[in-house]
Order: sequence, then C-alpha cells, then structure tokens
Amino acid sequence: MRKYLREGEPFVWATAATLALTLIISAVLIVVVLVNGFGVFWPSKLAQVSLTDGQKVMGEIIRTEEHPDGSGLRYQFKTGNRDLYGLDFRWISQEHVTLLEYPEDAVGLERQEYGNFYGYLKAFSLPEGRVEAGSLKQQYVELLPEVQRRMEHLDDLQDEVMVLSRKMQKIDLETQELLYESKNPDVSAVQELGRREAVLKEDFATLLTRQNKAMDGLEAFVGIFVDAAGKEKNIPLSHIVRFYEPNNMNVLEKLVFYLGKLVELIFGEPRESNTEGGLFPAIFGTVVLIFLMSIISFPLGVIAAVYLREYSKEGPVVRLVRIAVNNLAGIPSIVYGIFGLAFFVYGIGGSIDALFFPERLPNPTFGTGGILWASLTLSLLTVPVVIVSTDEALGAIPGGIREGSLALGSTKFQTLMRILLPMASPGIMTGFILAMARAAGEVAPLMITGVVKLAPALPIDGVFPFIHLERKFMHLGFHIFDIGFQSPNVEAAKPMVYITTLLLVLVVLLMSSVAIVLRNRMKKRYTYGTF
Amino acid sequence: MNQNFLKKIKRNDRMARWVITAGGVSIIFSVILILFLITKVTIPLFQDPTKEVYSRTPLPEQLQGQQVLAVGVDDYFENSYLFTDRGTLAFLDAGNAEIRKLVQLSGGAQLNSVTALGNHRYALSWSDEVLSLLELDFPPFFDADGKRTIRYEVKDRTDVAPPDIDEVPMRSLLAGQPGENLTRIDLLQDGRILIGREAVETDLFGNEEQTLSSVSLEEGLGLGISALVADGQGRYLYAGTHDGKLLSWDIGDLEAVEQLDHLQAFSDRRRITALALVFGDISLAVGDEKGGVSTWFPVVGDSGKFQLKKIHVLEPHRSAVTAISPSQRDKSLLSLDEDGIAYLDHMTSERHLLSFFTDTPLRNAALSVRGHAMIAANDQGQLSLWKVDNPHPEVSFKTLFGSVWYESYPEPDRVWQSSSGSDDFEAKFSLAPLIFGTLKGTFYAMIFAIPLALGGAIYTSQFCNARFRQYIKPTVEIMAAIPSVIIGFLAALWLAPLIEDRIVSILLGVLFVPLSFVVALVIWQALRRQDFLKRFDRGYEFLMILPVVVLTAAIVTVAGPLVEQGLFGGNFQLWLYNEAGMRYDQRNSIIIAFALGFAVIPIIFTIAEDALSNVPPSLKAASLAMGASRWQTVWRVMLPSASPGIFAAIMIGLGRAIGETMIVLMATGNTPIIDMNLFNGMRPLSSNIAVEIPEAPVGGTLYRVLFLSAVILFAMTFAFNTIAEIVRQRLRVKYGRF
Repeated sequence: MRKYLREGEPFVWATAATLALTLIISAVLIVVVLVNGFGVFWPSKLAQVSLTDGQKVMGEIIRTEEHPDGSGLRYQFKTGNRDLYGLDFRWISQEHVTLLEYPEDAVGLERQEYGNFYGYLKAFSLPEGRVEAGSLKQQYVELLPEVQRRMEHLDDLQDEVMVLSRKMQKIDLETQELLYESKNPDVSAVQELGRREAVLKEDFATLLTRQNKAMDGLEAFVGIFVDAAGKEKNIPLSHIVRFYEPNNMNVLEKLVFYLGKLVELIFGEPRESNTEGGLFPAIFGTVVLIFLMSIISFPLGVIAAVYLREYSKEGPVVRLVRIAVNNLAGIPSIVYGIFGLAFFVYGIGGSIDALFFPERLPNPTFGTGGILWASLTLSLLTVPVVIVSTDEALGAIPGGIREGSLALGSTKFQTLMRILLPMASPGIMTGFILAMARAAGEVAPLMITGVVKLAPALPIDGVFPFIHLERKFMHLGFHIFDIGFQSPNVEAAKPMVYITTLLLVLVVLLMSSVAIVLRNRMKKRYTYGTF
Repeated sequence: MNQNFLKKIKRNDRMARWVITAGGVSIIFSVILILFLITKVTIPLFQDPTKEVYSRTPLPEQLQGQQVLAVGVDDYFENSYLFTDRGTLAFLDAGNAEIRKLVQLSGGAQLNSVTALGNHRYALSWSDEVLSLLELDFPPFFDADGKRTIRYEVKDRTDVAPPDIDEVPMRSLLAGQPGENLTRIDLLQDGRILIGREAVETDLFGNEEQTLSSVSLEEGLGLGISALVADGQGRYLYAGTHDGKLLSWDIGDLEAVEQLDHLQAFSDRRRITALALVFGDISLAVGDEKGGVSTWFPVVGDSGKFQLKKIHVLEPHRSAVTAISPSQRDKSLLSLDEDGIAYLDHMTSERHLLSFFTDTPLRNAALSVRGHAMIAANDQGQLSLWKVDNPHPEVSFKTLFGSVWYESYPEPDRVWQSSSGSDDFEAKFSLAPLIFGTLKGTFYAMIFAIPLALGGAIYTSQFCNARFRQYIKPTVEIMAAIPSVIIGFLAALWLAPLIEDRIVSILLGVLFVPLSFVVALVIWQALRRQDFLKRFDRGYEFLMILPVVVLTAAIVTVAGPLVEQGLFGGNFQLWLYNEAGMRYDQRNSIIIAFALGFAVIPIIFTIAEDALSNVPPSLKAASLAMGASRWQTVWRVMLPSASPGIFAAIMIGLGRAIGETMIVLMATGNTPIIDMNLFNGMRPLSSNIAVEIPEAPVGGTLYRVLFLSAVILFAMTFAFNTIAEIVRQRLRVKYGRF
C-alpha cells in the first residue's frame, strides 16, 4: 500500500478524474443545448384537464415535478391564450385534477400576436354570401387559398406604401439639403419639390384607402374558436400563422410540421418582440458582419504576418512586436468595443457626418453605431488571431524550402506567392476560420457599436445604393442576450433562446471543427519527425 | 532570359517589399495605437481646471458711486447684471459692461443686502425691512427679419412685509416658494428668531386656502448668532454663533418646530461667519473666522439620533470667510474671504479647483448656472469675468479608489452609483467595488478552472491512451470556441435556477465526490488483481472513473433535498439568512465559478497540454529508465520542465477571465458590492462598461470614468499576458524546435 502511494498511482487517478469531470461538464452543456433546442419545434400533445372545482384547462404540459409543499405531483401547463388569461403558464396540482385527456379535435394556433391559442374550432364567420360545406377542417382547407391570395394582395399594397414613403423621405432630404446649403435657396426648386411631395401625398392617401379596404375584406374571414372552458374567441384567419391539431397528427405529419417551423426559423421575420417567428434578419446581420469583418481583417492580418516573418529582421524589436501582437489577442473584447465607440463611431463617424451630411444633423447618419463600425471593431479584434496563425504557419515551413526556391533564382516575392503562401494556406485558413468563429460569437463590443434588438431594414437590400453600411443590424449572439434577458416575458421566450443558441453553437462548432481538421492535416504534412 | 521579364519580376519584388513593409509596420502600430487613444479620453479627468480672464471692465459711469451688492452672469458670456445699494438692477453686456437696461427696484428705500438663491433668483432686503423675492430672465427672441434680441425682465417679484415688532431685525431672509410656503425669517437683536409663513394649500377640487402662521424661536437667545441660513424648501433652519456653535431646527411645520442640533462645532470657539447649503440642500457649508470651510450633514450619532457631523474639510482661506455660494450644477462651493480672494472647491472630492483674485480685493462673486463663467466685483467696483473650464470637479484619486463619505451615508464607503433620478444627486464613482468584483469573479473562476484544466492536461498528455488523446484535445479546443454569450445564458437561465433549487447537492458534491473517488480507488485496488480487468488499467483510467463521478453526482442530486430537509429545515436559503445573516442571490459566485471557469478551462488546458507535450521525450524516457514510476516522472521531471508553459497557461486564462464580459453581464446580478460572500453576486469592470456606456453622454464624467475602467482592464490583462508571453518565448528558446 505504501509503495502504491509512493508511486503516486492515486494522483494519476486524480488527474483522470479531473479530465472526466471536464468532459462531463462539456457534454452536459452540449446536451442541454441540443435537447432544449431540438425539442422546441416538435408539436407536443395538448392535454385537457378537468379540475375538482369544475374548471377545464387545456395546454401543453411543460414540466411535471414534486410539489414543494410535498402534496404530490404538479404540472406546469403552457396554456397560451394570453389575450384571454393574461398569463401563458399555469401550475396545476395533481390532487385537483379529476380527468386528464387528450381530445382528438383540440386545435393549436400560432398567431401573429398574443402567442399561441389552444382550444377548439367551432365555426366560421364568412363575408356575406359565402357558404362552405363539409367538415370544419375541410372548410378551413378550402378557405385558406382565398385568404392567402388576399394577404398577398395586401403585402403588394404594403410594398407600394413603402416605395412611396421612401420617395417622400428622399424629397424631404433633398429639401433639407437645399435649405441648408444656401442662405437664400432656389425658391422655385424648393417649390417644385413641394409640389412633387403633394402629388405623392395624394397617391399615398388613395393607397391607404385601398389598403384599408383590402384589410377589411380580409378581416371578414373569421374563425370562431372556443377555449377549454367554452369561452368564445373570434380570430381573423389572416392572423393565424399556423393551424394544427397535435393530438391528431402522426409522426410524419409532425415531421412536416417540424420542418416547416425550421424553414420559418431560418427564412422568416421575427414576431412578438422577437420571441416567435424567424431569425432571418439576425442570421443575415451576422453573415454580413462576418463578411465585412473578413474583407478588412484577413488581408491586413496576412500582410502584417508576412512582414513579421519574411521581411523584418529578427531582433529585439520584432520580438517585442510579436509579444505585443500576442498580447492584443488577449485584450478583453469590451475594451475593443469602447475603443470602437470612441474612435470609429464618435471620431470618424462624427467627422463624416459633419463633412458630408451636415443637413441631417443633429440626427446622426454615420455618427451612431452601425454595421460598418461594428465590423471594423471586430476586425481589429480578429487581426491578432490572423497574424498569429499566419505567422505560425509560415514559421512551420522548413527554411530549406525558402533557400531552395531562392537558389533557383526566384525573387523573394515569387517565393512568397508561389511557394510559401500556398504551403501555409491550411494554417492561414485555420486562422481565418477561428477569426470568423470568434466574430460570430462575440457580442460585447457589438452591443456598443451598433447592434439592435429589432432593425427596421437589412443592411443590404434592393434600394439604392443597395449596401447601407450606416444601418444598425441584428445579430444572433445579441439576440440570445436580448430575448433571454431583456424581453418582457422571459419564460415564454426561453424556447426561442434555446433554438437561437443551438443555431449559433452549431455554426461555431462547425467552423472550429473545420479549422482544427485543417490544422491537423497541415501539421502532418510539414512537421518532420522528432523522435 | 527575357531582360524585360527579369526587370518586371525585380520591380514587382521591390514593390512588394515596400508595400509589405509599410503595410506591416503601419498595421502593427495602428493596432498598438488603440491603447493610447483610449488613454487619451481619460486624461481630462485628471487635468486641473483652468480659468481665463474674459473681460475686466470698470463700473459703468451711470452707476459710479453706488455700491455693488450682488453680481450675476449667464453661461454664454452674453449678459451680466448687478444690484446696487440704491436699489438699481443693471443688465449689462457681459463683454464690455455696457448697460443694456436699468431697472429701478426701490420705491425710495435703500437696499441693504442681496442673497442669491440660485437660477437667477434673489432675495432683497430693504432698509424699510421689506424683503423681496425676484427672478431675473433674459430670453432671446427673433423679430420678423430673424434678428435676435434679448429681452431683459424681472419675472416675478414678491414682497414680504416685516413682522409686527418694534425693533429692526439684525438679519432677515426668505425661504420656500412663493404661492406655496413662502417663509420669512428674522433674527432679532437678542438672538430670538421670528418665523412667519404664508402657506397656500390646494385641496382636491383646486380651491386654494391661504394660512398665515408665525413662531418665535427662543433657543438662540443670548448665544450671539452670527450666521443664518434656511434651505430652499423652507424645511430646515441653520444658525452659527460667535463662539463656534451650530444650531438647527426643523421648521417644516411651524406648529411643531423642533430643535435638531445644538452643538459646539469648533472646540476653539471660533466665530462662524458664513453658512450656505450645498446644491441638493443636504450638506451645510460652514465658513469661519479663521478661514476654514467645512461641510456638515446629519449622521446617526451614538445616541441613535441624527446629529450634524463634520464630513469634508475644504481648502482653508488665509482670512475669515465672508460668503459661501454653492454652485447650481454640482457639489462645488465658491467661498470668498476678507482679503477678497475667492476659492472654488468641490465638496465630495475635496479638491481645491481654482482661486480667483484681482489687484484689489473682490467683494462679490458668483458662478453662472452651469459653472462656465464666474463674475466678481471688487472694492473699486471693477467687474471681472472669468471663463472657467472645469469639466470633472467630482473626480479625484480619492473618489475613484478611496473611501468617501457621501451625503446621507452613515460612514465613508466605496460606492459605485453613477446616476439617479434627480439632478442634485451626488455621483459616486468609486471603481473599488468594480475592481473588487472583477477580482472576486476571477478568483472563484480560477479556483474552479485551474485544478480541472491542469489535471486534465497532465492526464491527457502523459497518461492517456494515444487513441483517446487525439480526440480529447480537439474536443477541448472546440469547447474554447463556444461563444461566451451562450455560456452566460445557460449559466443564468438554466444553471442558476437549478443550483438555487439544489444548492445543498452542490455543497454535498464538494464533499462526496472526492470521498467516493477514494472509495472507488480502494475497490479498484481489490478488483485489479483480476487479469482481464488489468487490461483496462493504464490509459483508460478516465473512462473507469467516469461512471463513479456520474454516479456520485446522481446520488448527491437525490440526497440534496433530503439533507436540506433534515439539517436546514427544508430551506437552505432561509437557514443561511437566519443563522449566518447571509443573503442568497440566485446569480451568485458559484454560478460565476462554474460559467467563467468553464470558459477558461479550454484555454488553460490547451496551452498547458502543449507545454507538457513539448517537453523532450528523452527526459521522460530517461526518468522511466531509471526506475521512477509514471507519476514520479511527471511530478519530478515533466512538470518542472513544463512549468513556465503551465504558468503562462494560467496567466492567459486569468487574463481571459478578467476581461470576459457577456458571462458576467448575464450571470452576476450586477450588484456593485464589496463582499467576498460565495452566495452573493458582483459587478465586474467589464460588465459595468457594457451596462453603462450606452447611457453615458459623450465627454461627460461617466463616459471618461468608464474609459478609465477600460484602461484598468486593459492594464490588468496586458500585465498577465505580457508575463505569459515572455515566459513562453523563453520556453521556446530553451527547447528549440520541440
């Protein structure tokens, strides 16, 4: 036994235990994200309970647990129907339940507002003269195309409204510019603009009446629903995003439903202060951000690294610079953020405003957070990552290869372009991917340089000049922070947070895995056996 | 070969060399420039305020021979004004002192004294014992041609008749608001104080009821009151005496006047010559005949009663203080002494900001409302106007890091509270609780992370089966890429409620996981005699121990509530509060230890593992060949050789933990308290920046203080990273290509 202790076998086991613990924690994290994230869209059954006091409650059972006062089990119901009850969730003790059933015809509705509705479909109230035959479900299926056609029409009208209002805004800006530039502006030009605006305003008014009429026509298609307790609720069919009968669905139907939700998640717009609907603007914002960051940061990082490794003379200065660069990679991101705010947003942005958009002041154009400043800040943050990895990749190439190339008469630049960079490319790629993964997950510096809860427009769209770098944007990471911590109803927002988390984790893990595989491949190719 | 082609190649090469060199150097230096730019923003915090004479003009001819009683100026160096003893109010052009408008305020009486009440409001005391309250205004307006002119007006004037007594009061003053509770206070020759109030009350239906009440305070009888002041709301009255006593009364309700204080403020019985209330009406500024200026406010004393206490002592004058006038913007005080020198001091920071003087002594001095301008009249009636640049008077080394006695606090404290609902709030910019928060969070995180990361690294690099090793390392590296916002979210919304529910299980786990580990080892010793089990011995330990850890975790999870029921009456949080007096926050240091620790484990793990793997295998081979066991080899040979690398790993992990923002923002609760308690949260520097910078006005004190905290954060991480880098470079040199 003493020998056993002296040999230190228990310590080996202790290190094994720490590794086991680390792996368990990692696994738990991933599993929690996966389980909570993947489960979000699977339609769960609608349970209806009758209580001892005669009440009936319907909803999804979210959780079952021991009652804290020890009186048995209790269920947490997601009852939906926020417009009827005011709350989304409700605890029900098992001892109060007389009957628990899963009615076949229970209906779940996803709506444009007020969250989900759970209850039954009772009848339809249609515009005069329209009568539908068949079962309620059949009627719904037949009505749907009509409703959708009208909704599309309404969307077209909405687009026209947007175009008109943009035109009017442009005229406003032009007027401002005219008035700003000269003390006594060209009166006729201003009047001309005013006249054009008046015409537009007229168009706008007629368009609005048309829109209202179309809206009224659409809202005449109403479904009459009742909740478990029998309370009626009229819901215009246009407000229904999704209609489903979860207790009546087989696995295949559920899978179709799941995929539909997934498509909506990736391509849809957010609803209900971001807690429902899709993530498209956030995904788009993240991608544009990473793209902008990449085109700034990658060339700069590679040039700096090439200079450090190939052109500078080794010495104390270069050593110092290398320490500084490694050091920069470890500076807190919030420090970069606050620098971006002072230098880019208030410094450069403020100057651009004063020079080019003085007529819009005090409303800032570039002098406020925007995607350009956020991506510049992020590229500062990632430049050290690119420098370090490129530097190491170049350093790993044996000196003999350089000498060989130079001995054959090629210039240094040719050696660099034809030999060294291609050989180092996996390492450089690793740096790029790591930088992109970091940019995708970084939130703190963005919070103060231009990310917002809900951006009214995408940074790239079909309106001249197509790329709007001054616009604010949405971001997946900030989305998590925002809906998890700043939304009015955190409990109801949790599923959305989990699914966003899952998406972000998958993206980042995928990127880093690719980086690591690349690096290992490169290591194999260029390291020469040591022992 | 084609000469042109060669030339072209050479030209390209030269160009590339230039571009790359210039580009490389400029990129590297521009990135390093960041530090200097951030620091530059914070520099104004520590610069001394400056003053500059804007104009110096003699008294206008029309006013020659009259004595100036009070002066005032606006913030734009446009308008100034003065009151003279003949009851003339003169509006002047601030630059050249040309008279813009003269207003005769008196109906024949002489003006005795003028008291500034702030925001261009004045109380005038006439020789016929009438007091007048008036407000001046100079609004600009534009005529049809867009020409800008200024209208000078006396907006409201309220006259208050003297009380019905035979004698002439020594001193009279006004407090309260006209139309609400205008109060006249008269100090009589014998030291009695008469208070008369005209209160107007509006009931629910909008009917106004006017009541007149008066009271006579006898406490000052025979004490020789030498200074008297009341607060703006007419709630408190303060008096100072010839022999250094301070008295105060609650006069909020005249039917129940209560004396609050009667104390010997100065043991050397110096005469109190000037009293004033600091902006916000909480602190009382006291000037004495020896030139001392101090501020006082009520603090709970030994007897359990509120008593005035000397809190701040400001720069002393060389002669008796004659007047103190508070700034209308912050907690600054302008005090004037008998030699005619004015001092501008800030109460909270106790900084002496500026001194103002001219060839002849100053007699009247006033700051503009926002403190950008300072005007004074001297003995000869000469008017001096200074431009004052005093952006951050409230910041000093002491307010940033030391303990400061803030208004209404029971004792000096280090507090961060940057904003509040009211304008007269005393901003509290102590970085101490934030730095403490950063260190506390980092400390707990490192306690959790270092053993796990180093143990894991040692095992992976030295003992683990090579087949597993090639998967474990990339897995941990990938963990490093998980965005901190996700870790923070899980910690705050998933882990924190879970731990709150099962806190006893966590505490049990700390005890039982090592215990079960020992038990498992003993059992294993018995089992491994079996040959077929021996195969799993070396290199598979972590797989063998995995079920033990999981099992123990499961057991403590189940056992936790039972133990809680048995030992802590079913509610640990309540027990903790009742027995130890500790509050349990849901987002506490345990959560931070887990979350922040988890964020730095992969970083420490990777670097430490690299360092261990890079130790030349020959060392290991030699040690094993000499008969050392595998642990002895690791402990005596490998670890010492790799120790610089391991040290660097810890330093870099530390740097990361200090700067991490999102995790602490989401999972700490963000309470800026100094308390090492495991069950409380904290507010670190980084999340403080993220929380407050969106609301900080550019160029303001808060903005610059936040930049200062970024510099501190930068300096901390820079120090740790630089140490790590230097150590690593040494290591690289030592082991050459390995």
